[in-house]
Amino acid sequence: MRTLRFWLTLLMCVLIWLSVTSFYNASPTYISTDRTRKIDMIVKMNRGDYWNTVKLGAEAAAKEFNVKLTFKAPDSESDIDEQIAMVEDSIKQKADAIILAASSYMGLAQVVDQAAYDKIPVISVDAEVGSARVRTYVGSNSYEAGQKSAERLIQLLKGYGEIGIINFTNSSLNTQIGSAGTIDYGARDADEREKGFLNYAARYPNIDVVQISYTNSNTANAEELTRLMLLKHPKLRGIATLNETASQGAGKVIQNLGLDKIKMVAFDSSPSMLELLQDGTVQATVIQNPFSNGYLAVKYAVEALEGVDVPERVDTGTKLIDLENMLWPENQKLLFPFVR
Amino acid sequence: MKQPKAYFFPLRPQNRNGGKLRLSSKLRSIQLIITLTFTAITVLVALIVSFMLYNKFAKTAEENANLNMQQIIEQVNYNLDLYVRGMGNIFEKAEQQITTSPSIDSPLMNEKMGTLMSSREDLVSVAVFTPEGEYVVGTPGQVMRQNTQLESQSWFTTAKKTSEISYSAPHIQNLFKGHYTWVVSISKMIQYRDNGELKTGVLLIDFNFRTIDELSRQVKLGKRGYAYILDPQGNIVYHPQQQLIYAGLKYENVEPVLEYAFRSYLDESTGEKRFITVRTLEQTGWKIVGVAYYDEIVTTKRDLNQFLAWFLAVVFLCVIALSVFLSWLIASPIRKLERTVKLVGEGDLNTPINVSGAYEVEQLSKRFNLMLQRIRQLMDQIIYEQETKRKGELEVLQSQINPHFLYNTLNSVIRLAEQGKTEEVVTMIQSLSKFFRISLSKGKNIITVQEELDHIRHYLVIQSFRFKNRFRYEIKAQDEVLSYQTIKLILQPIVENSLYHGIEMMQDEGLIVITAELQDELIVIKISDNGLGMSPETLNTILSGGVKNGGGSGVGVRNVNERIGLYYGREYGLAFESELEEGTTVTIIFPAIRNDEGAAEQKEDTTKR
Repeated sequence: MRTLRFWLTLLMCVLIWLSVTSFYNASPTYISTDRTRKIDMIVKMNRGDYWNTVKLGAEAAAKEFNVKLTFKAPDSESDIDEQIAMVEDSIKQKADAIILAASSYMGLAQVVDQAAYDKIPVISVDAEVGSARVRTYVGSNSYEAGQKSAERLIQLLKGYGEIGIINFTNSSLNTQIGSAGTIDYGARDADEREKGFLNYAARYPNIDVVQISYTNSNTANAEELTRLMLLKHPKLRGIATLNETASQGAGKVIQNLGLDKIKMVAFDSSPSMLELLQDGTVQATVIQNPFSNGYLAVKYAVEALEGVDVPERVDTGTKLIDLENMLWPENQKLLFPFVR
Repeated sequence: MKQPKAYFFPLRPQNRNGGKLRLSSKLRSIQLIITLTFTAITVLVALIVSFMLYNKFAKTAEENANLNMQQIIEQVNYNLDLYVRGMGNIFEKAEQQITTSPSIDSPLMNEKMGTLMSSREDLVSVAVFTPEGEYVVGTPGQVMRQNTQLESQSWFTTAKKTSEISYSAPHIQNLFKGHYTWVVSISKMIQYRDNGELKTGVLLIDFNFRTIDELSRQVKLGKRGYAYILDPQGNIVYHPQQQLIYAGLKYENVEPVLEYAFRSYLDESTGEKRFITVRTLEQTGWKIVGVAYYDEIVTTKRDLNQFLAWFLAVVFLCVIALSVFLSWLIASPIRKLERTVKLVGEGDLNTPINVSGAYEVEQLSKRFNLMLQRIRQLMDQIIYEQETKRKGELEVLQSQINPHFLYNTLNSVIRLAEQGKTEEVVTMIQSLSKFFRISLSKGKNIITVQEELDHIRHYLVIQSFRFKNRFRYEIKAQDEVLSYQTIKLILQPIVENSLYHGIEMMQDEGLIVITAELQDELIVIKISDNGLGMSPETLNTILSGGVKNGGGSGVGVRNVNERIGLYYGREYGLAFESELEEGTTVTIIFPAIRNDEGAAEQKEDTTKR
């Protein structure tokens, strides 16, 4: 009798509870933002319009998903040790997730493994890192970007002439210092762009890439390198720059020298670059989607923390912008961040 | 003790394989029925009430939220309307200044342009262009860029097409050196004088998004809700996540919005329920669209949900607890009563029933107790009566052959024989013989009044020999009385009493009068003597058995009384009247029953109390 009543009561309670809980609708489909997540974003450099736009995107996502975003970056894109120290610091601070734009493909690999070992998901943005433990890569296809740049420059040069490339954080630079020999210590995106460019240019026998210079991501240095290159190769017909600072430096030199005969394809879309594009100093620029990169990196970090499956690779795309298409409404939207 | 065992054994196997039967009887218990029905009804009522309340509140909340949102959007619409009107006013003022100015490139004109620019923070640039796209005049200090492609820009082409003021979609201002800014352009074909010559040109005023942003940012539609502005072509003029949309990271479903100028509806295209409210600005055709998340603006609904859930849970628990307790309160005394009654049923009549609880149950238990008490009383009485009856019968049986009386009588006969009084001896022996015959009367208990009177007459004859005629006796009986029946040997003990206690000690001659008559269906037999009489004390104790008459036939007066009581009922029996030195009258009263109905009457009498 007692047990029977007990079971009946229990059954009734369960029924009541079910009917009560059925009032609630199922859990919402959007990502829960009740809990504040701590996400550290470590990029290559704390200056430059490109990284600012990445930061803007990240902040937009942070606001949307209730993330406490810590933005960290060394002073220079080539300061690998500083970046490693920053990641280590983030691991120590027990960040919920780390978003990393690695300055060195291999140099950051170990510390990323360390983070993964501590169960901190790592999201790669812009530049990949040589670790299998990275949850996802958000960024553009650098090889393709390099090819686009080469395609346009060669088209501008009508298929012949000498070309100089100004790239950044290069493996050979590091191998001189480091002891690792053949190990790739450069930034992955820089390598890939260069590879893409050279592979495309190799199709044209009349195109001669005469020099590749590497800047340590500072405009003055890039200007200096451009000047040196122009001095060294007076017959130079085209310059391709493979990142923002290199583009700014080279653009400035060409503008100042009024060298109309030199065609230039730049990289990224800083406002100063767009002005150069509009006044004809630079003929084209390959742009990425820094805002999307920042935004998506944070979004996927949050999703990874929520246990949602995130895609392994997210290509945010690249686009070639020239004077003609820069004012197309859809390009306007990409080129000029709607900043308030 | 045997009975419960016999009852238990057949039940056991039934218990083992008849679980269902057991369950059903358990299910029929008062406690369970009360608990279940009480809970079910309360729960049902609570559910219905809360469901109705929920629906009502939810509907109101939804309506309120919707209304509230519409009001907010109305407000934004109103503010934006004012702002756009303001922009129009500025444009008209600028136009007026330019058209009325005698020469477009005069310093005064320049100054006026400068004042206009500094008057508003949201003004980016003012400029006049020729229809061919040549820069004529503008804000002082601004330098045109190269490759502006202004001839193909929408503000320029629409201005050339219509004579009205036109508002452009947001675009990048790339005309002048400095920053690239997102602007909304207002343009119109105007007329101006250049060195006295009347020319037409396009006046352009660019506004940045500062004010629009401010106005729209104030909109609070829940945590995630927002408002955005569309131009008539579907371009987003303003959106809180404008850059996300521009970068293609977010998507706003504008198609259903574009079809209506004034509308509120529930949109589920994104998978989430959203309230969309659309209002349109008159001048620009811009649409202000408010988006509110359904589950957010109806937070009251969710709060209500939560509250109701908890409320119901608590109510249900309380109701269950209460009904279990209540049913226990009602059922437990009944069950206790049942157990006690079962004990009583098993034969333990002394089981006390002290069940407290509900008034009815208490009363039931009290009544049951009284009933038990009465049963016990009756059983005691029956036992007592049976005993007395048996004892009385035994005594009667004894008195039928009383050795002492026989011995006394035979002594008297011997004495008479010795004296040679043959006649008296014969009379005596005759009387004795008849006396015994009636005494025995074939073992019957019931005889006729005639026989009883004969019996006492024989007794008196015998006694008169013994008392040597010291007393006289008279027996008077109505004729109709004689055929009625009576239990036997009721007169003899009384007469014996009169003789031994009343007359024996007397000096004078004694007199015993026996009358028998019928009064109102009752037979009344009176035995009076003129003997010593009795004191009231003796009189009182005589029937309660205090006085034991030594000797005599041994059948006591009390025995007579009880026998009459047992046979005919307690209201019948003996009555004594006595006065010292005067005599005693004993009245015997019992119902008149005819001889022929004797057998039936007798049976009934034994069952009667």
